[in-house]
Amino acid sequence: MSRGNFFLTAFLWSIILFLVIYPLSILVVESFKISQPAGWGIRNYLEFFQDTYYLKTFWNTLVLSTLVLVTTTLFGVPLSYILARYRQWGKTVFTALILLPIVLPAYAGVFAFMIFFGKFGTLNLLLMDAGLIEKPINWIYGLQGLVFIQSLHLLPFIVLSLSAGFTTIDPSFEEAAEVEGASGFRRFITVTMPLCTPTYLAGAVIVFLWPFTDWLTPLILGQVDYLPSVAYINIAYHFTDMHRKYMGIVAVVVSSVVCISLFLIARRWVERKKYTGLSKGTTSEGRVIEPGVLLKASSYGYMVLVAALVLLIPVVLGLSAFSRRWVFEPFPTHWTLENFRVILMESPLLIRNSFLFSGLALIFGILFGLPAAYLIVRTRLPGKDILDFLITLMLAFPGIAVGVSYLLAFWNGIPIATHWLIMPLALFTRRLPYFLRLAHSSYLQLDISLEEASEVSGVGKFRTFLNISLPLLLKGVMVGVVMFFIMAFQEISTAIFLYRGGWETLPIGIYLNWHRGMEFGIAAAMAFLMIVITFILLLIIARIGGGILKAAWGPGGK
Amino acid sequence: MAFIEIRNLFKRFRKVVAVNHIDLDVARGEMLTLLGPSGCGKTSTLRCIAGLEKPDAGDIVIDGKSMLSEGFVQSSKRGIGMVFQNYAVWPHMKVFNNIVYGMKLQKISKQEIRERARKVLDMVGLSGLEDRYPGQLSGGQQQRVALARALVRNPKVLLLDEPLSNLDAKLREKMRFEIKSLVKRMGITSVYVTHDQAEAMVISDRIAVMNSGNIIQIGTPREIYDRPANKFVADFIGTMNFISGAIIESIRTSDLLEVDTEFGKPLFCKGNAAKSFASGRNVFISIRPEDVEMKDSANPEKENTFQGIIVHKAYLGNFLFFFVKINEILIRVQVPHYIPYEEGEEISLYLNPEKCILLD
Repeated sequence: MSRGNFFLTAFLWSIILFLVIYPLSILVVESFKISQPAGWGIRNYLEFFQDTYYLKTFWNTLVLSTLVLVTTTLFGVPLSYILARYRQWGKTVFTALILLPIVLPAYAGVFAFMIFFGKFGTLNLLLMDAGLIEKPINWIYGLQGLVFIQSLHLLPFIVLSLSAGFTTIDPSFEEAAEVEGASGFRRFITVTMPLCTPTYLAGAVIVFLWPFTDWLTPLILGQVDYLPSVAYINIAYHFTDMHRKYMGIVAVVVSSVVCISLFLIARRWVERKKYTGLSKGTTSEGRVIEPGVLLKASSYGYMVLVAALVLLIPVVLGLSAFSRRWVFEPFPTHWTLENFRVILMESPLLIRNSFLFSGLALIFGILFGLPAAYLIVRTRLPGKDILDFLITLMLAFPGIAVGVSYLLAFWNGIPIATHWLIMPLALFTRRLPYFLRLAHSSYLQLDISLEEASEVSGVGKFRTFLNISLPLLLKGVMVGVVMFFIMAFQEISTAIFLYRGGWETLPIGIYLNWHRGMEFGIAAAMAFLMIVITFILLLIIARIGGGILKAAWGPGGK
Repeated sequence: MAFIEIRNLFKRFRKVVAVNHIDLDVARGEMLTLLGPSGCGKTSTLRCIAGLEKPDAGDIVIDGKSMLSEGFVQSSKRGIGMVFQNYAVWPHMKVFNNIVYGMKLQKISKQEIRERARKVLDMVGLSGLEDRYPGQLSGGQQQRVALARALVRNPKVLLLDEPLSNLDAKLREKMRFEIKSLVKRMGITSVYVTHDQAEAMVISDRIAVMNSGNIIQIGTPREIYDRPANKFVADFIGTMNFISGAIIESIRTSDLLEVDTEFGKPLFCKGNAAKSFASGRNVFISIRPEDVEMKDSANPEKENTFQGIIVHKAYLGNFLFFFVKINEILIRVQVPHYIPYEEGEEISLYLNPEKCILLD
């Protein structure tokens, strides 16, 4: 091991130890604390799995996960088939629209759908005005709303992974089935789908785990009996009641354990059964079908429907942001810029904080991610696989777990939570894998001989990195950089536990405005502002990374 | 009547014409090979027969039934077996399930399915591997699974799309004979696509040489090799010397033509009975390297004997290969390995008029 590599390893490991392993172990340790009589033991866990209430939240979450997975799959299979296989006009636009929810914050969707589908929302008012219904229909306040909203948010993950499968499996597998006498649906069920299961699973696990991490959507919809929401309420509201706090921590640990183990099981399975890329030496570029007129028309109708639901989010939030007192009316009547005046003039701090924290997190990300990618791709240092593994694991870790563990670890133990620097540090830790994965893959594409040529010419490793690798990596990394920024910019699950007066970010501002029952319009305007900023950033990515599609595909995180 | 009749078949991809109005007949039980360089239209033709591509014009008749004129017959309804270039053995199914997949869709009893699968596995030499997944098999074994899957339903027609191109050279040579004897034994009419001329020679009853969407020549391997229809076929099959020249008017009493070449004196060659060449016309005279005779002293006045200098010599084990320069023209000569000439030596070459082929 060269000295440079030794220091690099030591540097990266100390960061991982300090920012990941230490806080997470504190979280686990705290979950074994017993309030009365004060002591240690597994009593919290025993109680958790015996208490009917906590068991119910666990069960509810499981049911929600299953329903969301079933829904996204049912809607996602035809959608990805259409996008991957049919030759039709406007494919790029539809793909971009359907994938859009990945980059929209989940809570933005919730607010938009509350305005549109709520008790006295646009849809119900329109239906009542038309005389079609007597009383408002409850569209979203309940399990059905949760399933609907989370499914729409998670649909892109299923679509991404399935269409990746549909386009990469070798066409001859399906042709062979056709020649053997299996046509249409039968071929799809016996050959196409089984071959796509590994890629499907990669997306399905993200979808299934989401309800174990999303505390905010149920909370806003008034459904609190879900694991992450209960954890949040127990820790954030009842911090004085030590027992409830510890039970909240147990809930966080249980969620995390579920997430991590399912993630690992799925990963193992996917790696064992990789069918795509199994065949060799074909020139064909995936199967593309020219659908019949009827099929074409219905596939368009289907795509338009999904795209319209996605578009509702920015449109409704926009309407709400530019209006006041939009209640009991299907569409706003009173237009104003007042909301933006309040945000920009009275509390510009939120926007400043958002940019500052995300920007700093980004710089940490680059300083950590590039050397880590170098270490993992280019060297054979011992322990690099563990490093890679640990960072990848962060993909599955619930944001709420990072937030709570930081609160526990850096408040009393190592007191840096008193300084605002904790905010960007937490954002950095939470979104670590996003950046690393991208740096990683662009490193893999960088031909090592280009670096070797420089070293042979007598230039040292570090200068080679600066002069050769970095400029070549930059394009691929830039997409990751912006994506990382978008994700950090929208982050709330971790930040909500750590912010103090004066450290609020835009997402926290949105939450507080909703929560304290202040102007709903201001929350909507903030969400709209976030969407606009996200759009601008996406356009920048499209500029760098070639095409809006790639921009939207980036965060798939594979 | 032919078992497979292809009439005026035309297929294009956007602006590129892949198959340009070809006609082709395959007799019952015959093994026909479509041979040509990549992009010549051979695979497109095969995929049209398979029903995996829809032709833009023309008709394909299999066993008296039109595949196109009375509505497009789906691939799944054509009763064909096909071996794909990359085998296309389904990786998520065991060998046994791969093989019985098509039979399960037909009304065949379980008992018979098992019996037929056992038989075909025996035939291709895979007995005992029924429960393996394709990922646990070698390339050659996967190839056999693909073959067994195509044969097990006793298809009317067997289509093979470069089935050996992914195997290593040794195995490839062995499989040629195996496939041929297996298909012949079952008497299945088959169409084989390859770009490997040696493979085509071994495996086929007849070869159809294709280039840029057209069939250039159809014939037995011997006909194709000995009497190539034009320069493309002559060049594509085996190695060939080409000598350009122009026909001289004087035609002697025999059926030999006299051609003016850059050799410095006329070259005689056997006329082509099918074609008559006007005098003064530019032609190519072609002769295989193994047909050129090498002598150290010959009467230079004798017809078709030319003086030359050996510029390169290559030892290839079972034979020697020489490049001989005659008046700036390089002639390739293949002789048995014991012929004792060296580079720089002056020798004379005799081009037997009977072996010289006149081409456009």
